[in-house]
Amino acid sequence: MELSGLTIRNFRNLASLDLELPSAGVVVLGDNGQGKTNLLEAMYYLVLFRSLRGAKDRELVRFGEEAFFVGGRANGGAFEVRAGYESAGRRKKISLDGNPVTRISDAVGKILAVSFAPSDRGIVAGPATGRRRYLDVLLSLAEPGYLARLTEMRSALKQRNAALRRGRGDEARAFDEPLASAGARVLEARTRWVERWSPRFGALTAALGERAEARMRYRTHRPPTADARSQFLDLLASHESRDLRRGMTTAGPHRDDLELSLEGRELRMYGSAGQQRTAAIALRLVEAETLRDSAGSPPIALYDDVFAELDEDRQARLLNLIHETLPGQAIVAAPRESEVPASMLDRPRWRVKGGRVAA
Amino acid sequence: MSVIAELATELAKLPGIGRKTATRLVYHLLKQPAASVERLALALQAVTRSVRACSTCGNLTEQDPCEFCADQRRDAGLVCVVEEASDIDAIERSGEYRGVYHVLGGHLSPLDGIGPDDLRIGSLLHRVGNGAGIREVIVATNPSMEGEVTATYVRGALDGHGVKVTRIALGLPVGGDLEYADGVTIARALSARRDMGG
Ligand SMILES: [Zn+2]
Repeated sequence: MELSGLTIRNFRNLASLDLELPSAGVVVLGDNGQGKTNLLEAMYYLVLFRSLRGAKDRELVRFGEEAFFVGGRANGGAFEVRAGYESAGRRKKISLDGNPVTRISDAVGKILAVSFAPSDRGIVAGPATGRRRYLDVLLSLAEPGYLARLTEMRSALKQRNAALRRGRGDEARAFDEPLASAGARVLEARTRWVERWSPRFGALTAALGERAEARMRYRTHRPPTADARSQFLDLLASHESRDLRRGMTTAGPHRDDLELSLEGRELRMYGSAGQQRTAAIALRLVEAETLRDSAGSPPIALYDDVFAELDEDRQARLLNLIHETLPGQAIVAAPRESEVPASMLDRPRWRVKGGRVAA
Repeated sequence: MSVIAELATELAKLPGIGRKTATRLVYHLLKQPAASVERLALALQAVTRSVRACSTCGNLTEQDPCEFCADQRRDAGLVCVVEEASDIDAIERSGEYRGVYHVLGGHLSPLDGIGPDDLRIGSLLHRVGNGAGIREVIVATNPSMEGEVTATYVRGALDGHGVKVTRIALGLPVGGDLEYADGVTIARALSARRDMGG
């Protein structure tokens, strides 16, 4: 997978860019705050049609403007993805090869990329929300139907919670069925993925130089059995009085966690900063391998200033893994050339300043 | 606010009409002969003054009972439950349905503060229970999540009322509204309706 052309209008501090990208990718240089990260965020917007950093669409519109636009030509022009957003109507328009898509999920994952950033450590060190989001993004891109089920689960959950806040058990119960049907599929997909990739996560963490054994485990109320739907229905029924008291649905996949551990100790609480950073990189590599396996070709790799914070040994180990897993297009951003590994410098340089890009 | 802006604001409240379109409509109206615009104003007035909900089925009508409830040739033992009065047009388009209707006035949506008491479910139970000879209730709410949930709720509410409850077999994509379905699709959905059990 590669991005061959990129058009940006009024996205964060990027006013107007029309860029051609070589197959190998580029090295993006520029001081912080000039637009490097925004450029990577704009590229990733074409993957998910949401901000990689969790920002709201209206926050992505350039100051003083009313709309932004990002368009990308992929694989030498084989297909084209465009996304636009207007603040006034809060309207998002997405098209594939010029045809508007009605459901965003139809366009999600047409372009595939994996983004590495120092803030990824927050996935490991932060609250469960970040780890669920990691799983949800990954599965939305890798598994057909996952995003649609997740969206259904969320709408059912919103309705059920609103009913609970109104103190109406009968109304809440009416939404148990759609919540359980969609939720069961979400739960199954998540547990299946974690089971399958946990050993690989351990192997990658080891290959990055971590000596203790790393594992991931999906933490849920009850691991799903053959009939996850009726199991979830039972769970909802048994929690109903508590849910009514709290005014929210207290059990379900929306409360689960992806537990990451080293020698059985949770990385979130007991890992050192270095161990957390290593685990975060391993998560991104597992993500890359998952996407590669589902799409049949490696995703685009976006590196936002990730090499400088690794010591020489880890950097060398990471480069080996990247060479294997992500041999395709790479967009390597850093403040200075000296902070880019030598083996990645064989790409054209772009210099970003004040939202402009000079080749 | 100027009268122009005021009218644009009112028009912009209509579904599918943004601020821009509303403004364009106002200027379009201003270019028309005064008589034609006045006819529009009178029609709007007439609609608001003389249209009300049918006291039996909730359909929007000028006469009470509405044309469907009053029609002796229709099968009063068969009731089709829809979300909105506008859905009746869609069912009628099929040309196949000979029963009467019941308009709920929406679907369950706690997020919008709409619970069972805000829908015309009580009056449906009343109709079924008062010996009017209703044999079958066809639930034709939309195939959206809220529509399905509402169908299940109605099914539950009708438990023990000794009436057959069926669900229209919408071959529509989930989220597709009844309103936009063509007559053939609806005729097929009606004839393939399934028993909701109970
Ligand atoms: Zn009537």
